[in-house]
Amino acid sequence: MTSMAAESPSTRHRVLGRGRTFPVAVAVIGAIGLAGFVWSLSIGPEHISLADRIHGTFAPDQSAPQLIVHLVRLPRALEAALVGAALAVAGTVMQGITLNPLGAPEIMGVNAGAALLVTLSVTVATSMSGESVLVLAYAGAAMAAVFVFGFARLGRGGLSPMRLALAGVTVTAFLFALMQGIFILHVETASTLMFWLVGGVNFADWHNIHMIWPWLLGGSLAAMLLAAPLNVLALGDDMAQGLGQNVARTRVIGGAVVVVLAGAAVGIAGPVAFLGLIVPHIARSLVGVNHFLVMPLSALTGASLFVWADVGSRYIGAADSQTPSGLVTALIGAPIFIYLARQQRMSS
Amino acid sequence: MSALDAAAPTFAVLERRSRRNLVVPVLFVLAVVVSIGTLGVGSYRVYFPDSVLALLGHGSHDQVNIVRTYELPRVLLAWLVGGGLAVSGALVQGVIRNPLAAPDIIGVTKGAGLAAVAALLVYPSTSDLELPLAAFIGGFAAILIVYVAAYRGGASPVRLALVGIAVSSVCETFIRLLLIKHVTAIGTALTWLTGSLAERGMTEVYECAIWMGVLLPLAYLCSRRLDVLGLGDDLAAGLGERVEHLRRILLLLGVGIAAAAVAIGGTILFLSLIAPHMARRLVGARHSLLLPASFLLGALLLLVSDAIGRGIDPPIEIPAGLITALIGGPYFLYLLAKAV
Repeated sequence: MTSMAAESPSTRHRVLGRGRTFPVAVAVIGAIGLAGFVWSLSIGPEHISLADRIHGTFAPDQSAPQLIVHLVRLPRALEAALVGAALAVAGTVMQGITLNPLGAPEIMGVNAGAALLVTLSVTVATSMSGESVLVLAYAGAAMAAVFVFGFARLGRGGLSPMRLALAGVTVTAFLFALMQGIFILHVETASTLMFWLVGGVNFADWHNIHMIWPWLLGGSLAAMLLAAPLNVLALGDDMAQGLGQNVARTRVIGGAVVVVLAGAAVGIAGPVAFLGLIVPHIARSLVGVNHFLVMPLSALTGASLFVWADVGSRYIGAADSQTPSGLVTALIGAPIFIYLARQQRMSS
Repeated sequence: MSALDAAAPTFAVLERRSRRNLVVPVLFVLAVVVSIGTLGVGSYRVYFPDSVLALLGHGSHDQVNIVRTYELPRVLLAWLVGGGLAVSGALVQGVIRNPLAAPDIIGVTKGAGLAAVAALLVYPSTSDLELPLAAFIGGFAAILIVYVAAYRGGASPVRLALVGIAVSSVCETFIRLLLIKHVTAIGTALTWLTGSLAERGMTEVYECAIWMGVLLPLAYLCSRRLDVLGLGDDLAAGLGERVEHLRRILLLLGVGIAAAAVAIGGTILFLSLIAPHMARRLVGARHSLLLPASFLLGALLLLVSDAIGRGIDPPIEIPAGLITALIGGPYFLYLLAKAV
C-alpha cells in the first residue's frame, strides 16, 4: 500500500533488484494463464480431445468438435483474457494517476457509469446495435471518470485514499440505485441484465471480440507509453512538476485510457468486480513500482486471473445453468481487498 | 461598558443556541403537517379535511377504509423507518467519525438485503413476520463479519469503512446471483431491494414500533458518549471512556436500528447518509440535538418521498427508495463538491 510513496535510495535499490524477477514472474504467470486457457477450452457438455482443441484454435476444419472449440469455447476464453487484461491495465493507470492505492475503475464509479448507460440503452432504446451500445458505455465511463477526477481535484491530491474511496463507492451506489429503478420499470429484461451486471464472459462470441480488440490494443499501447510519466508522477505532484512534467496532461491522457479500456471491458462483459483494484497490487508486490514492468505484468495477471475465474465459475452451481464469472472475481477479490484495507494506516 | 462588551459574545452564543433549540420543535410541527397533508395521496385520492375526518371515522365507508388500512400505516411507517434510518446513520457517522459513512456503506444494508432476498426467493413460503427476522439476522451477520475482519488491535474507523465496502460488494453480487436464478419473483424482490412502504399494514407498524421504542431512546441516552467519542480515540480514552467497548456498543445499537428499519421498509438508499448531514447543518454536532433532528428529518424525507412515489402517477407505485436515491444522490454529490 505504501509502494506509491517516493523512493528512497534503499527502496530504489530494492526496486531495481526486483526488476530481475520480472522474467520469472512473466514466465510463471504466463504459464498459469495458458494452462487455464487450455483447460477453459476443455470445459463443456462435449468432451473434446487436446488435438482437436489445438486444431480448433488455430486452424479449424468442419468437424463438430473443432467448430465447438472455434465458435464457442475459444471466444469465451479469449474474451476472458482480453477483459481481464483491460481492467487490470485500467486499474494500474488509475492508481497511477490518482496516486491512490484504492483508485480502481470499479471503486471510482467508472464501471457503474458505463453500466448505467448500457442498461438505459438496452431497456429504453432496444433497437441499438452492439457498436453504439459500446460507444454509450464509453460515454458513461467518461462521465463518471470526469466527475470523480473533478472532485479528486486532479493537481492537489486533496482527498485522502479513504475519502476518495468512500466518495467513489457512494457514487457507485447512486448509479446502481438508478439502474434498479430502471429494472423495476422493465422487469422483463431485468434478469438478463442482472446477469450482465455480475459480469462475465458466458455469452462471448467473435463479434464482441472483433468489436473491442482495436480499442484494447490502442488503450494498452497508450498505457505503456504512459509508463514513464507515471513513474515520475509517483514521486508526487510537486516533484513531477519540478522535473518538467505536465501533470495535468498526464492525468487527462491517463483518464482517457481508463475510459477506453474499462468502457470496452464493461461494454461486453459487465462491471466485473475487483479485478482493476487487486491485480495492480499483485503485480507491484512481484516486481516493484516501476510502471514499465508493472503495466505488462498487470495485463498478463489480469488475463490469467479472469480466465481462471471463468473456469472456476463453470464448476459453481447447477450443471444446467450458467454462473457469471464475475461471481468468482468477487469472491477472490473481496478477501484481497480486505487484506489491503487492513494494511491501511489508522489515520483517516 | 467593558462588562457589556465581554458579555456580547455570550449573548451571541446563547442566541444561536436558542435558535438551535427551536429547530427540533419546528421540524416536529413540519413533519406532523406533512403527515396530515400526505395522508390521502394515492390511487384513491382523499383530500385534506376529508382525510382527517375519515381517520377519525367520519365520511364514506370507502374513505374511512382506505385512510385507516392503507394510508395511516404508511405515514406511521415513514416516521419509524425514515427516522430510524436517519438516527442509525447519525450513530454510525459518529462512531466512524466520517460524515460519508452510513449503514449503506459499512455493509449492514446489503447484508440485510441479501438475507431478505434469499428468504423471499429460495423459501417463497416465507411469511411477512419471518422476512424482517431474516433481514435482521443478515444485517447483524454482515456487521459481525465487517467488525471481525477490520479488527486489528481495535477496529479503526478507516478499516471498518473499507472492509464494509468489500463485504457490501460481495453481498450485492450474491443478491444479483439470486435474482438471476429466480426469475419469476424478480419484481417483488427488486421492489423490496429499492425500499418501499407499499402494502404494509398495522402489523408492521407495531413490529417496527416495538424495536424503535426500545432502541431509539437508548441511542438518545448515549448522545453525550457520542460527543466524547467525536473528540478522537485518545481524548475519549483520556476522559475515561473505554473506547473500543463504547464503539462496539454504539455500532451495535446503530445496526440494530438500521436492521429494524430495513426489515420493514426494505433497503431504502441514501436516507441514513443525508438526513444526519442536513441535521448537522441545522443544529450542529451535539448529539443530544443531532439525534432528534436527524430522526425528524429522516421522517420528513421519507414521508415526502413516499407521497411522491404513490402520488406522481397512480396507480403505478414508484418505490420510495428510488425517490430518496434521486433526492439523496445529488445532495450527496453537492456535499462532496463543497467538502473538497
